[in-house]
Amino acid sequence: MATMITAMAAIAAFPAPRSLQQAPAPLQLRQSAVSFVARPVRAHRRLVAVAASSPATPPDLASKVSESIKQAQETCADDPVSGECVAAWDEVEELSAAASHARDRQKGADPLEEYCKDNPETDECRTYED
Amino acid sequence: MAAFAAHTSAATSHYSPAGTAILLRSRRRAYPIRVSCLAASAVDKTVVIGLAADSGCGKSTFMRRLTSVLGGGAEPPRGGNPDSNTLVGDAATVICLDDYHSLDRAGRKARGVTALDPRANDFDLMYEQVSAIKEGRAVDKPVYNHVTGLLDPPERIAPPKILVIEGLHPMYDERVRDLLDFSIYLDISDEVKFAWKIQRDMAERGHSLESIKASIEARKPDFDAYIDPQKQYADAVIEVLPTQLIPDDDDGEVLRVRLIMKEGVKRFSPVYLFDEGSTISWIPCGRKLSCSYPGIKFSYGFGTYFCHEVSVLEMDGQFDKLDELIYVESHLSNLSTKFYGEVTQQMLTHADFPGSNNGSGLFQTIVGLKIRDLYEQVVAERAVMTSDAVRL
Repeated sequence: MATMITAMAAIAAFPAPRSLQQAPAPLQLRQSAVSFVARPVRAHRRLVAVAASSPATPPDLASKVSESIKQAQETCADDPVSGECVAAWDEVEELSAAASHARDRQKGADPLEEYCKDNPETDECRTYED
Repeated sequence: MAAFAAHTSAATSHYSPAGTAILLRSRRRAYPIRVSCLAASAVDKTVVIGLAADSGCGKSTFMRRLTSVLGGGAEPPRGGNPDSNTLVGDAATVICLDDYHSLDRAGRKARGVTALDPRANDFDLMYEQVSAIKEGRAVDKPVYNHVTGLLDPPERIAPPKILVIEGLHPMYDERVRDLLDFSIYLDISDEVKFAWKIQRDMAERGHSLESIKASIEARKPDFDAYIDPQKQYADAVIEVLPTQLIPDDDDGEVLRVRLIMKEGVKRFSPVYLFDEGSTISWIPCGRKLSCSYPGIKFSYGFGTYFCHEVSVLEMDGQFDKLDELIYVESHLSNLSTKFYGEVTQQMLTHADFPGSNNGSGLFQTIVGLKIRDLYEQVVAERAVMTSDAVRL
């Protein structure tokens, strides 16, 4: 489900550059609120592209989490106070924490920033401080 | 060289450059005395900070705020294990104590033991490596991979200026506790923990309210037995509780946060409101400052916490404007800031972090400033010690 949304977002993002080129100049586009409203279909598509960017857990980690939950529920059904039951729920907690960290990492993942961290001397990554 | 020697042999001279080896000529002896070794060993010791928290390692909000205050940033080590829990920066290195698990996930499952249990952790190795880093020697620290649940090959850790050990048991072992220059315990109350875990896990496929609740309850006995008692050893405790400003049950949005600071800790002077050692209750919202519902309420006082004398600073409510933040900062004392508005600036720089609009972000930032202050005091003490040694 998550991958479908991101795929849709990718497709929806493509028309956006074309609509920008049609506008006379970026300044004019920003000044006139009317031009934005006048093309509601485009605006709507752009909105979809932006809204769908909430990160999902990487699928292998997500499946590990759900598997561990199922296992914990099974183990605890037999004996709720045993060490195995407690250890199983601890595993669920550990995997959920790892999944949440993975989501946080994805949220901040900007491809340009990643590239520049490794190659600060390239033209795109040079910074000039006066 | 001759001119310099003549300078030092003058008995009344008080000038001595710190950290350099100076050949002193004493009138009685014919040979010079070198004092460089003493100076070098005093400089190399790392400052060690312990942070006890349940929320996983290294990437937590507290760590990010702390590394921001100390400066120099902190990134996972480049070129190493991508699942490494360590963060390395110019000023500080953050080590996750999960790396000292003696049992990996399969091993713990087989024995029926949680990660909270001391039996799953190698405290001897922890003590050995932390004391080695403290003395200035690099170590090969094991890596615990949270994704696979296995123990990966070790990574090299060079001794930094400030070492932060974060995890479940920084203060559990007595030997490790003695190595810590400052220790913090993050105490989240059960209701708030439940609300946060719901926020974190509800989006996860497979999780439901029951599974989250069951997970918290299953871990509670081990948590209360092994992790919670570390509170009494901490120099600063940050308690996060549900708010008292909103009468009926809320979803953990508004928080009441208490900063409990032990008295008499070396190089640590507690933050206070208006008058140190008194009891204050303060609502800043009023004529000069307008706040939105539910507003802000501060209190400051003193008391005892596990038989220690403590001062407690408490904030209940939320910030929603820059004005409120700077107003509050200007009325707090002993913040160890370097310039007016530093706390506000730090909070605004990380406005997207959780807790940036309430006491948890505020107190985490303040504790970060206290740690920076502690480090600078240590450095100043060493410089004095070195110049004393050189002066003889």
